[in-house]
Amino acid sequence: MSKNRPVYEPFALEPSGRAHLVVTSLDAPPEGIEDSFDNIEVWTVKHNGPGVPVLAAGGVRPFRSTTELLAQLGHRLGRETAGLRFYAIGSEAFIWDAYNIGIVAGLHPSEISLHRAGPLVRRVYCSHCRTMIEGVPVNIVSCPSCEAALFVRDHFSRRLAAFMGVKVDAEVPGEIPAAEVFTS
Amino acid sequence: MKLKIEAAGQLTSGIRKFTLAPVDGAVLPRAGAGSHVVLEIPGPNRVWKNAYSITSAADALAYEIMVRRVEKSRGGSAWLHEHAKVGDVLEVYPPQNLFAPQRKAKRHLLLSAGIGITPFLSYLKLPGLAYEMHHCCKPEDETAFRTLLPSGPEATLHTSRNTLNLEALLKRQKLDTHLSVCGPESFMDVVLATAAHVGWPAAKVHKESFGGATGGEPFVAHLKRSGVKVNVGREESLLDAMEAAGLTPPCLCRGGACGECKLTVLDGVPAHHDHYLSETERAANNAIMICVSRAKTPELVLDF
Repeated sequence: MSKNRPVYEPFALEPSGRAHLVVTSLDAPPEGIEDSFDNIEVWTVKHNGPGVPVLAAGGVRPFRSTTELLAQLGHRLGRETAGLRFYAIGSEAFIWDAYNIGIVAGLHPSEISLHRAGPLVRRVYCSHCRTMIEGVPVNIVSCPSCEAALFVRDHFSRRLAAFMGVKVDAEVPGEIPAAEVFTS
Repeated sequence: MKLKIEAAGQLTSGIRKFTLAPVDGAVLPRAGAGSHVVLEIPGPNRVWKNAYSITSAADALAYEIMVRRVEKSRGGSAWLHEHAKVGDVLEVYPPQNLFAPQRKAKRHLLLSAGIGITPFLSYLKLPGLAYEMHHCCKPEDETAFRTLLPSGPEATLHTSRNTLNLEALLKRQKLDTHLSVCGPESFMDVVLATAAHVGWPAAKVHKESFGGATGGEPFVAHLKRSGVKVNVGREESLLDAMEAAGLTPPCLCRGGACGECKLTVLDGVPAHHDHYLSETERAANNAIMICVSRAKTPELVLDF
Protein backbone atom coordinates (compact mmCIF):
# COMPACT_ATOMS: atom_id res chain seq x y z
CA MET A 1 0.00 0.00 0.00
CA SER A 2 1.35 3.41 -0.87
CA LYS A 3 2.41 5.75 1.90
CA ASN A 4 -0.06 8.47 1.09
CA ARG A 5 -3.11 6.33 1.85
CA PRO A 6 -4.74 7.78 4.96
CA VAL A 7 -5.08 5.50 7.96
CA TYR A 8 -8.37 5.59 9.85
CA GLU A 9 -8.98 4.90 13.52
CA PRO A 10 -12.11 3.08 14.68
CA PHE A 11 -15.04 5.45 15.27
CA ALA A 12 -15.18 6.94 18.76
CA LEU A 13 -16.69 10.16 20.05
CA GLU A 14 -14.19 12.62 21.48
CA PRO A 15 -15.13 13.46 25.10
CA SER A 16 -13.22 16.78 25.02
CA GLY A 17 -15.89 18.22 22.69
CA ARG A 18 -18.82 20.32 23.88
CA ALA A 19 -20.98 19.40 20.86
CA HIS A 20 -20.73 16.71 18.23
CA LEU A 21 -21.78 16.65 14.59
CA VAL A 22 -21.60 13.28 12.85
CA VAL A 23 -22.18 13.10 9.10
CA THR A 24 -22.37 9.81 7.22
CA SER A 25 -22.94 8.79 3.62
CA LEU A 26 -24.67 5.68 4.96
CA ASP A 27 -28.36 5.54 5.88
CA ALA A 28 -27.70 4.97 9.56
CA PRO A 29 -25.05 6.08 12.06
CA PRO A 30 -23.08 3.64 14.19
CA GLU A 31 -25.45 2.01 16.63
CA GLY A 32 -26.18 3.78 19.89
CA ILE A 33 -24.24 7.01 19.26
CA GLU A 34 -27.32 9.24 19.53
CA ASP A 35 -27.62 8.32 23.18
CA SER A 36 -23.93 8.47 24.02
CA PHE A 37 -23.61 12.26 24.46
CA ASP A 38 -26.07 15.03 25.23
CA ASN A 39 -25.19 17.43 22.49
CA ILE A 40 -24.98 15.27 19.39
CA GLU A 41 -26.50 15.60 15.95
CA VAL A 42 -26.27 13.02 13.17
CA TRP A 43 -26.69 13.62 9.45
CA THR A 44 -27.41 10.56 7.31
CA VAL A 45 -28.28 9.88 3.68
CA LYS A 46 -31.55 8.08 2.92
CA HIS A 47 -32.02 7.87 -0.84
CA ASN A 48 -35.60 8.61 -1.83
CA GLY A 49 -36.22 9.45 1.81
CA PRO A 50 -38.63 12.06 3.16
CA GLY A 51 -36.82 14.79 1.29
CA VAL A 52 -37.13 17.73 3.63
CA PRO A 53 -34.39 17.24 6.17
CA VAL A 54 -35.78 18.33 9.51
CA LEU A 55 -34.30 17.77 12.91
CA ALA A 56 -35.93 14.51 13.89
CA ALA A 57 -36.23 13.04 17.37
CA GLY A 58 -32.84 11.81 18.55
CA GLY A 59 -31.08 14.41 16.48
CA VAL A 60 -30.86 12.31 13.30
CA ARG A 61 -31.34 14.32 10.14
CA PRO A 62 -31.77 12.36 6.88
CA PHE A 63 -30.70 13.93 3.57
CA ARG A 64 -31.71 12.67 0.15
CA SER A 65 -28.15 12.47 -1.14
CA THR A 66 -24.55 13.10 -0.14
CA THR A 67 -24.67 16.07 -2.53
CA GLU A 68 -27.49 17.65 -0.53
CA LEU A 69 -25.79 16.85 2.76
CA LEU A 70 -22.44 18.33 1.73
CA ALA A 71 -24.15 21.40 0.26
CA GLN A 72 -25.67 22.15 3.67
CA LEU A 73 -22.57 21.34 5.66
CA GLY A 74 -20.60 24.54 5.01
CA HIS A 75 -23.55 26.73 6.03
CA ARG A 76 -24.04 24.72 9.17
CA LEU A 77 -20.37 24.81 10.21
CA GLY A 78 -20.33 28.57 9.56
CA ARG A 79 -22.84 28.97 12.37
CA GLU A 80 -21.09 26.62 14.80
CA THR A 81 -18.95 27.76 17.71
CA ALA A 82 -15.71 26.57 19.31
CA GLY A 83 -15.90 23.25 21.10
CA LEU A 84 -17.53 21.31 18.25
CA ARG A 85 -16.11 17.95 17.24
CA PHE A 86 -16.84 16.89 13.68
CA TYR A 87 -16.96 13.29 12.44
CA ALA A 88 -17.45 11.89 8.94
CA ILE A 89 -18.21 8.26 8.26
CA GLY A 90 -18.51 6.68 4.82
CA SER A 91 -16.70 6.30 1.51
CA GLU A 92 -13.23 7.78 1.22
CA ALA A 93 -14.49 10.37 -1.29
CA PHE A 94 -17.32 11.47 1.00
CA ILE A 95 -15.29 11.73 4.20
CA TRP A 96 -12.54 13.78 2.54
CA ASP A 97 -15.10 16.07 0.88
CA ALA A 98 -16.54 16.58 4.35
CA TYR A 99 -13.04 17.12 5.76
CA ASN A 100 -12.24 19.78 3.18
CA ILE A 101 -15.50 21.62 3.91
CA GLY A 102 -14.62 21.46 7.60
CA ILE A 103 -11.16 22.94 7.01
CA VAL A 104 -12.59 25.80 4.93
CA ALA A 105 -15.04 26.47 7.78
CA GLY A 106 -12.07 26.86 10.13
CA LEU A 107 -11.92 23.49 11.84
CA HIS A 108 -8.45 22.26 12.76
CA PRO A 109 -7.58 18.66 11.78
CA SER A 110 -7.57 17.78 15.48
CA GLU A 111 -11.28 18.69 15.64
CA ILE A 112 -12.16 16.33 12.79
CA SER A 113 -12.20 12.55 12.74
CA LEU A 114 -12.75 10.44 9.67
CA HIS A 115 -13.90 6.84 9.48
CA ARG A 116 -14.26 4.70 6.44
CA ALA A 117 -17.37 2.58 6.03
CA GLY A 118 -19.55 1.12 3.27
CA PRO A 119 -18.60 -0.37 -0.11
CA LEU A 120 -14.93 -0.28 -1.21
CA VAL A 121 -15.43 2.04 -4.14
CA ARG A 122 -13.18 4.89 -5.20
CA ARG A 123 -13.57 8.29 -6.77
CA VAL A 124 -11.11 8.41 -9.63
CA TYR A 125 -9.56 11.53 -11.13
CA CYS A 126 -8.75 11.28 -14.81
CA SER A 127 -5.35 12.93 -14.97
CA HIS A 128 -5.75 13.47 -18.74
CA CYS A 129 -9.02 15.42 -18.82
CA ARG A 130 -9.69 16.17 -15.11
CA THR A 131 -13.00 14.31 -14.99
CA MET A 132 -14.06 12.80 -11.66
CA ILE A 133 -15.50 9.29 -11.90
CA GLU A 134 -17.55 8.26 -8.87
CA GLY A 135 -18.05 4.84 -7.29
CA VAL A 136 -15.37 2.89 -9.14
CA PRO A 137 -15.04 -0.71 -7.75
CA VAL A 138 -12.22 -1.97 -10.05
CA ASN A 139 -8.69 -0.76 -10.78
CA ILE A 140 -9.30 -0.32 -14.53
CA VAL A 141 -11.99 2.09 -15.66
CA SER A 142 -12.88 3.95 -18.81
CA CYS A 143 -13.08 7.74 -18.51
CA PRO A 144 -16.60 8.77 -19.55
CA SER A 145 -15.36 12.14 -20.81
CA CYS A 146 -12.15 11.51 -22.77
CA GLU A 147 -12.63 7.74 -23.16
CA ALA A 148 -9.13 6.94 -21.96
CA ALA A 149 -8.78 3.51 -20.38
CA LEU A 150 -7.47 4.39 -16.92
CA PHE A 151 -5.47 2.42 -14.40
CA VAL A 152 -6.41 3.49 -10.85
CA ARG A 153 -3.20 4.05 -8.93
CA ASP A 154 -2.96 3.60 -5.19
CA HIS A 155 -2.34 7.33 -4.98
CA PHE A 156 -4.93 9.30 -3.03
CA SER A 157 -5.33 13.07 -3.18
CA ARG A 158 -6.85 14.46 0.01
CA ARG A 159 -7.51 17.76 -1.72
CA LEU A 160 -9.53 16.14 -4.50
CA ALA A 161 -10.73 13.26 -2.29
CA ALA A 162 -9.91 11.05 -5.28
CA PHE A 163 -7.50 8.43 -6.56
CA MET A 164 -5.31 9.13 -9.55
CA GLY A 165 -6.30 7.48 -12.84
CA VAL A 166 -3.64 7.31 -15.54
CA LYS A 167 -3.78 5.81 -19.05
CA VAL A 168 -3.65 2.07 -18.47
CA ASP A 169 -0.51 1.42 -20.52
CA ALA A 170 1.27 4.66 -19.68
CA GLU A 171 4.41 2.91 -18.42
CA VAL A 172 4.86 0.41 -21.25
CA PRO A 173 2.60 0.99 -24.31
CA GLY A 174 0.41 -2.02 -25.02
CA GLU A 175 1.04 -3.63 -21.63
CA ILE A 176 -2.25 -3.87 -19.74
CA PRO A 177 -2.32 -5.06 -16.13
CA ALA A 178 -4.94 -7.49 -14.89
CA ALA A 179 -8.15 -5.94 -13.58
CA GLU A 180 -8.66 -6.32 -9.85
CA VAL A 181 -11.52 -5.47 -7.52
CA PHE A 182 -10.42 -3.12 -4.71
CA THR A 183 -9.78 -4.81 -1.40
CA SER A 184 -8.77 -1.67 0.46
CA MET B 1 23.36 46.08 16.34
CA LYS B 2 23.57 49.41 18.16
CA LEU B 3 20.28 51.21 18.84
CA LYS B 4 19.84 54.56 20.50
CA ILE B 5 17.11 55.37 22.99
CA GLU B 6 15.31 58.05 21.02
CA ALA B 7 12.45 58.56 23.45
CA ALA B 8 11.48 57.25 26.85
CA GLY B 9 8.44 57.83 29.00
CA GLN B 10 6.31 56.40 31.73
CA LEU B 11 3.15 54.60 30.57
CA THR B 12 1.98 53.56 34.03
CA SER B 13 3.73 53.69 37.38
CA GLY B 14 5.26 50.29 36.65
CA ILE B 15 5.68 50.34 32.88
CA ARG B 16 8.14 52.46 30.91
CA LYS B 17 8.04 52.94 27.12
CA PHE B 18 11.13 53.25 24.94
CA THR B 19 11.70 54.11 21.32
CA LEU B 20 14.88 52.52 19.93
CA ALA B 21 16.22 53.99 16.71
CA PRO B 22 19.20 52.98 14.58
CA VAL B 23 22.42 54.89 15.02
CA ASP B 24 23.71 56.87 12.03
CA GLY B 25 20.78 56.10 9.77
CA ALA B 26 21.43 52.35 9.66
CA VAL B 27 18.60 50.22 8.30
CA LEU B 28 16.42 48.61 10.95
CA PRO B 29 15.53 44.94 10.34
CA ARG B 30 11.81 44.48 9.75
CA ALA B 31 10.02 43.13 12.81
CA GLY B 32 6.81 41.30 11.94
CA ALA B 33 3.84 41.40 14.31
CA GLY B 34 4.62 39.41 17.45
CA SER B 35 8.42 39.85 17.26
CA HIS B 36 10.67 40.58 20.19
CA VAL B 37 14.18 41.92 20.60
CA VAL B 38 16.81 41.01 23.15
CA LEU B 39 18.54 44.00 24.77
CA GLU B 40 21.93 43.96 26.42
CA ILE B 41 21.53 45.93 29.59
CA PRO B 42 24.61 47.03 31.53
CA GLY B 43 24.54 46.08 35.20
CA PRO B 44 27.01 46.84 37.99
CA ASN B 45 28.56 43.36 37.89
CA ARG B 46 27.35 41.86 34.63
CA VAL B 47 25.36 42.37 31.46
CA TRP B 48 21.68 41.40 31.39
CA LYS B 49 20.00 40.08 28.27
CA ASN B 50 16.27 40.62 28.38
CA ALA B 51 13.65 40.03 25.69
CA TYR B 52 10.92 42.60 25.00
CA SER B 53 8.05 42.47 22.52
CA ILE B 54 8.13 45.10 19.80
CA THR B 55 4.93 47.11 19.94
CA SER B 56 5.47 49.19 16.80
CA ALA B 57 4.38 48.25 13.28
CA ALA B 58 6.53 45.97 11.13
CA ASP B 59 7.70 48.77 8.84
CA ALA B 60 8.27 51.39 11.55
CA LEU B 61 11.54 53.35 11.48
CA ALA B 62 12.19 52.64 15.16
CA TYR B 63 11.30 49.82 17.55
CA GLU B 64 8.99 50.65 20.39
CA ILE B 65 9.07 48.47 23.49
CA MET B 66 7.50 48.54 26.93
CA VAL B 67 9.30 47.44 30.06
CA ARG B 68 7.58 46.43 33.23
CA ARG B 69 9.53 46.95 36.40
CA VAL B 70 9.74 43.47 37.86
CA GLU B 71 9.28 43.37 41.64
CA LYS B 72 12.27 41.18 42.33
CA SER B 73 14.09 42.36 39.25
CA ARG B 74 17.03 40.32 38.06
CA GLY B 75 18.51 43.68 37.24
CA GLY B 76 17.58 44.45 33.65
CA SER B 77 14.20 46.05 34.12
CA ALA B 78 15.40 48.00 37.16
CA TRP B 79 18.22 49.57 35.12
CA LEU B 80 15.85 50.45 32.28
CA HIS B 81 13.51 52.13 34.77
CA GLU B 82 16.09 53.93 36.88
CA HIS B 83 19.09 54.65 34.72
CA ALA B 84 18.25 54.42 31.01
CA LYS B 85 17.95 57.85 29.42
CA VAL B 86 17.38 59.35 25.99
CA GLY B 87 20.60 59.20 23.98
CA ASP B 88 21.92 55.99 25.55
CA VAL B 89 23.09 53.44 23.01
CA LEU B 90 22.34 49.77 23.67
CA GLU B 91 23.43 46.55 22.01
CA VAL B 92 20.27 44.95 20.60
CA TYR B 93 20.00 41.55 18.96
CA PRO B 94 17.95 41.45 15.72
CA PRO B 95 14.25 40.67 16.20
CA GLN B 96 12.96 37.11 16.48
CA ASN B 97 9.36 36.08 16.15
CA LEU B 98 7.97 33.28 18.30
CA PHE B 99 4.45 34.67 18.49
CA ALA B 100 3.44 35.56 14.94
CA PRO B 101 -0.29 35.87 14.26
CA GLN B 102 -1.81 32.53 13.25
CA ARG B 103 -1.97 32.51 9.48
CA LYS B 104 -4.75 29.95 9.33
CA ALA B 105 -7.06 31.91 11.60
CA LYS B 106 -9.72 33.98 9.89
CA ARG B 107 -10.45 35.66 13.20
CA HIS B 108 -8.32 36.24 16.27
CA LEU B 109 -9.41 36.31 19.86
CA LEU B 110 -6.67 38.16 21.75
CA LEU B 111 -6.63 37.98 25.54
CA SER B 112 -4.02 39.79 27.58
CA ALA B 113 -3.34 41.05 31.06
CA GLY B 114 -0.92 43.71 32.28
CA ILE B 115 2.34 43.88 30.31
CA GLY B 116 0.99 40.95 28.23
CA ILE B 117 -0.62 43.55 25.99
CA THR B 118 2.70 44.23 24.23
CA PRO B 119 2.80 41.57 21.49
CA PHE B 120 -0.80 42.34 20.58
CA LEU B 121 -0.06 46.03 20.07
CA SER B 122 1.88 45.04 16.97
CA TYR B 123 -0.96 42.71 15.89
CA LEU B 124 -3.40 45.63 16.05
CA LYS B 125 -1.26 47.53 13.56
CA LEU B 126 -1.75 44.85 10.89
CA PRO B 127 -4.12 46.12 8.22
CA GLY B 128 -7.43 44.28 8.04
CA LEU B 129 -6.86 41.92 10.97
CA ALA B 130 -10.22 40.50 12.13
CA TYR B 131 -10.00 40.34 15.88
CA GLU B 132 -11.69 40.70 19.22
CA MET B 133 -9.43 41.76 22.06
CA HIS B 134 -9.90 41.79 25.81
CA HIS B 135 -7.27 43.29 28.04
CA CYS B 136 -7.25 43.07 31.84
CA CYS B 137 -5.41 45.63 33.94
CA LYS B 138 -5.40 47.27 37.34
CA PRO B 139 -7.99 50.08 37.73
CA GLU B 140 -5.26 52.70 38.18
CA ASP B 141 -3.71 51.73 34.82
CA GLU B 142 -6.95 51.88 32.85
CA THR B 143 -6.45 55.37 31.42
CA ALA B 144 -2.93 54.56 30.24
CA PHE B 145 -3.92 51.32 28.52
CA ARG B 146 -6.96 53.00 26.97
CA THR B 147 -4.60 55.20 24.96
CA LEU B 148 -3.00 52.11 23.41
CA LEU B 149 -6.18 50.49 22.15
CA PRO B 150 -8.52 51.44 19.33
CA SER B 151 -11.77 52.99 20.47
CA GLY B 152 -14.05 50.60 18.54
CA PRO B 153 -16.02 47.65 19.92
CA GLU B 154 -13.28 45.16 18.95
CA ALA B 155 -11.12 45.99 21.98
CA THR B 156 -12.41 45.94 25.55
CA LEU B 157 -10.59 46.85 28.76
CA HIS B 158 -11.40 45.05 31.99
CA THR B 159 -10.30 46.37 35.36
CA SER B 160 -11.88 43.54 37.28
CA ARG B 161 -12.05 39.82 36.62
CA ASN B 162 -15.83 40.06 37.07
CA THR B 163 -16.49 41.97 33.87
CA LEU B 164 -14.81 39.36 31.71
CA ASN B 165 -16.94 36.23 31.42
CA LEU B 166 -14.26 33.98 29.96
CA GLU B 167 -16.41 30.92 29.57
CA ALA B 168 -19.17 32.74 27.68
CA LEU B 169 -16.61 34.56 25.54
CA LEU B 170 -14.82 31.35 24.58
CA LYS B 171 -18.07 29.49 23.92
CA ARG B 172 -19.39 32.01 21.43
CA GLN B 173 -16.31 32.09 19.15
CA LYS B 174 -16.71 30.85 15.58
CA LEU B 175 -14.85 27.77 14.35
CA ASP B 176 -12.46 29.88 12.25
CA THR B 177 -11.13 31.74 15.29
CA HIS B 178 -7.81 31.12 17.03
CA LEU B 179 -7.14 32.20 20.59
CA SER B 180 -3.89 33.94 21.53
CA VAL B 181 -3.12 34.79 25.12
CA CYS B 182 -0.34 36.72 26.81
CA GLY B 183 0.08 37.85 30.39
CA PRO B 184 1.09 36.63 33.83
CA GLU B 185 1.31 32.87 34.21
CA SER B 186 -1.74 32.75 36.51
CA PHE B 187 -3.84 34.63 33.94
CA MET B 188 -2.76 32.34 31.12
CA ASP B 189 -3.43 29.27 33.25
CA VAL B 190 -7.03 30.37 33.83
CA VAL B 191 -7.60 31.16 30.15
CA LEU B 192 -6.09 27.87 28.97
CA ALA B 193 -8.02 25.81 31.50
CA THR B 194 -11.30 27.51 30.59
CA ALA B 195 -10.65 27.05 26.88
CA ALA B 196 -9.96 23.33 27.35
CA HIS B 197 -13.04 23.03 29.55
CA VAL B 198 -15.37 24.38 26.85
CA GLY B 199 -13.79 22.20 24.17
CA TRP B 200 -11.15 24.36 22.47
CA PRO B 201 -8.53 22.13 20.84
CA ALA B 202 -4.94 22.83 21.93
CA ALA B 203 -4.01 23.54 18.30
CA LYS B 204 -6.12 26.71 18.25
CA VAL B 205 -4.79 28.09 21.53
CA HIS B 206 -1.50 29.99 21.46
CA LYS B 207 0.37 31.61 24.31
CA GLU B 208 3.31 33.93 24.59
CA SER B 209 5.54 33.13 27.52
CA PHE B 210 8.36 35.29 28.75
CA GLY B 211 10.00 36.08 32.00
CA GLY B 212 10.24 32.59 33.38
CA ALA B 213 13.73 33.20 34.72
CA THR B 214 12.90 34.12 38.28
CA GLY B 215 16.05 33.04 40.08
CA GLY B 216 16.13 30.57 42.93
CA GLU B 217 18.50 28.47 45.00
CA PRO B 218 22.12 28.59 43.80
CA PHE B 219 23.55 25.45 42.23
CA VAL B 220 26.56 24.22 40.30
CA ALA B 221 26.39 23.32 36.63
CA HIS B 222 29.06 20.85 35.60
CA LEU B 223 29.51 21.15 31.82
CA LYS B 224 31.10 17.86 31.02
CA ARG B 225 32.39 18.31 27.49
CA SER B 226 33.67 21.81 28.22
CA GLY B 227 35.25 20.54 31.45
CA VAL B 228 33.94 23.56 33.36
CA LYS B 229 31.98 23.94 36.57
CA VAL B 230 29.84 27.08 36.70
CA ASN B 231 28.27 28.51 39.84
CA VAL B 232 24.73 29.66 39.15
CA GLY B 233 23.80 32.35 41.67
CA ARG B 234 20.46 33.12 43.22
CA GLU B 235 19.71 36.01 40.88
CA GLU B 236 21.02 34.73 37.58
CA SER B 237 19.89 32.11 35.09
CA LEU B 238 21.93 29.07 34.09
CA LEU B 239 22.26 30.54 30.60
CA ASP B 240 23.52 33.87 31.96
CA ALA B 241 26.00 32.09 34.23
CA MET B 242 27.34 29.99 31.35
CA GLU B 243 27.74 33.06 29.17
CA ALA B 244 29.47 34.92 31.99
CA ALA B 245 31.92 31.99 32.15
CA GLY B 246 32.78 32.56 28.50
CA LEU B 247 30.72 29.71 27.07
CA THR B 248 28.37 30.17 24.11
CA PRO B 249 25.47 27.78 24.57
CA PRO B 250 22.65 27.88 21.99
CA CYS B 251 19.82 30.27 22.83
CA LEU B 252 17.18 32.38 21.16
CA CYS B 253 14.21 33.65 23.13
CA ARG B 254 15.73 33.53 26.63
CA GLY B 255 12.22 33.00 27.96
CA GLY B 256 11.71 29.24 27.92
CA ALA B 257 9.54 29.29 24.84
CA CYS B 258 11.53 28.47 21.72
CA GLY B 259 13.40 25.26 22.51
CA GLU B 260 16.71 26.44 21.08
CA CYS B 261 18.73 26.17 24.30
CA LYS B 262 17.78 22.58 25.20
CA LEU B 263 20.69 20.67 26.72
CA THR B 264 20.96 17.03 27.75
CA VAL B 265 21.09 16.36 31.49
CA LEU B 266 23.57 13.62 32.40
CA ASP B 267 23.12 13.74 36.16
CA GLY B 268 21.12 15.69 38.73
CA VAL B 269 17.48 16.73 38.66
CA PRO B 270 16.38 19.86 36.77
CA ALA B 271 13.66 22.19 38.07
CA HIS B 272 11.69 22.93 34.90
CA HIS B 273 10.34 26.45 34.43
CA ASP B 274 10.00 26.44 30.64
CA HIS B 275 7.01 26.26 28.32
CA TYR B 276 8.66 24.05 25.75
CA LEU B 277 9.17 20.54 27.09
CA SER B 278 6.19 18.19 27.22
CA GLU B 279 5.06 16.60 30.47
CA THR B 280 6.72 13.36 29.41
CA GLU B 281 10.01 15.09 28.63
CA ARG B 282 9.90 16.91 31.96
CA ALA B 283 9.29 13.70 33.86
CA ALA B 284 12.20 12.00 32.09
CA ASN B 285 14.56 14.59 33.66
CA ASN B 286 17.09 14.20 30.89
CA ALA B 287 16.71 17.58 29.19
CA ILE B 288 16.74 21.17 30.40
CA MET B 289 15.98 24.56 28.88
CA ILE B 290 18.91 26.48 30.32
CA CYS B 291 17.44 29.96 29.87
CA VAL B 292 14.79 29.60 32.59
CA SER B 293 15.14 26.24 34.31
CA ARG B 294 17.25 25.53 37.36
CA ALA B 295 18.21 22.57 39.54
CA LYS B 296 16.56 20.66 42.36
CA THR B 297 19.88 19.05 43.23
CA PRO B 298 23.04 20.95 44.30
CA GLU B 299 24.71 19.96 41.04
CA LEU B 300 23.59 19.36 37.48
CA VAL B 301 25.81 17.56 34.99
CA LEU B 302 25.09 18.73 31.42
CA ASP B 303 26.27 17.49 28.05
CA PHE B 304 27.91 20.68 26.82
